[in-house]
Amino acid sequence: MPTEPPANGGYMVAGYLVTAGILIGYYLSLLRRARKSVKSEKGPP
Amino acid sequence: MTAIARPPTLDQARAVTRRGLAMSAVALVGIAGACVLALGFTPTEARQGLAQKIFYLHVPAAWSALLAFSLVGVAGALYLWLEDSRLDRFSAASAEVGVAFAAVMLTTGPIWAKPIWGTWWTWDARLTLTLFLFFLFVGYLALRAAIHDRQERARFSAVLGIMGLLLVPFVHLSVYLFRTLHPQPIVLKPSAPSLPWEMLRTLLVSTVMFTLLYVGYVTTRYGIGLAADAREHRDAD
Repeated sequence: MPTEPPANGGYMVAGYLVTAGILIGYYLSLLRRARKSVKSEKGPP
Repeated sequence: MTAIARPPTLDQARAVTRRGLAMSAVALVGIAGACVLALGFTPTEARQGLAQKIFYLHVPAAWSALLAFSLVGVAGALYLWLEDSRLDRFSAASAEVGVAFAAVMLTTGPIWAKPIWGTWWTWDARLTLTLFLFFLFVGYLALRAAIHDRQERARFSAVLGIMGLLLVPFVHLSVYLFRTLHPQPIVLKPSAPSLPWEMLRTLLVSTVMFTLLYVGYVTTRYGIGLAADAREHRDAD
């Protein structure tokens, strides 16, 4: 008789959320640093 | 041997970061698609349940981290030979991106392990060596931040990157060399992958997207380094 898979979907959700947090967080960090680093500086008048 | 590259400009840096950010955004959308594939169109493993679906993020993140750390070592070795600043800039970018992917690997691993092994962490060879590798590259980034002389920084970090590269095969082979709770490779092994086709397909899609994300992140981070070097050259003139 086939057995039901264990109910552990909460761990799956946590794993996906943590991954999204790290990957999107790092993307936003790169975006902020990229904007700051390539911004043209205006010299003194 | 010394390769003489022309000093970078801010316009070049701008173009590179723009390309990298676009590639990363496409890859993030691709990873979201891989998640939909994993959650909606891939069968649930009978014994492990839904927690097994972490596999489709954990394995590609591990692949990307090990790829990133290996390339830091390769570029470091080439830097010691050629002394080309582009190689050093690439190493810095790849190390930082590798640490981000290793963070995904080291957090999703315990979240998957808890319901399957009954524990978040165990000090076996695979897990411990992976943690060492992570700390080594965190140290690599700290070393780079601490040294201001450009050539000295590049030389010292190249040597540390090569040390990291030497650790990578031990991490991969540790499941064969030592008794460990961690499963053996199911795709990167001498025989055919031991996975049903639907699971293998989802894993491959996710791995391709993570690899694209690695390229996008490294390109962006390289562009940021390029901009810093362009400013330094301009200020020196």
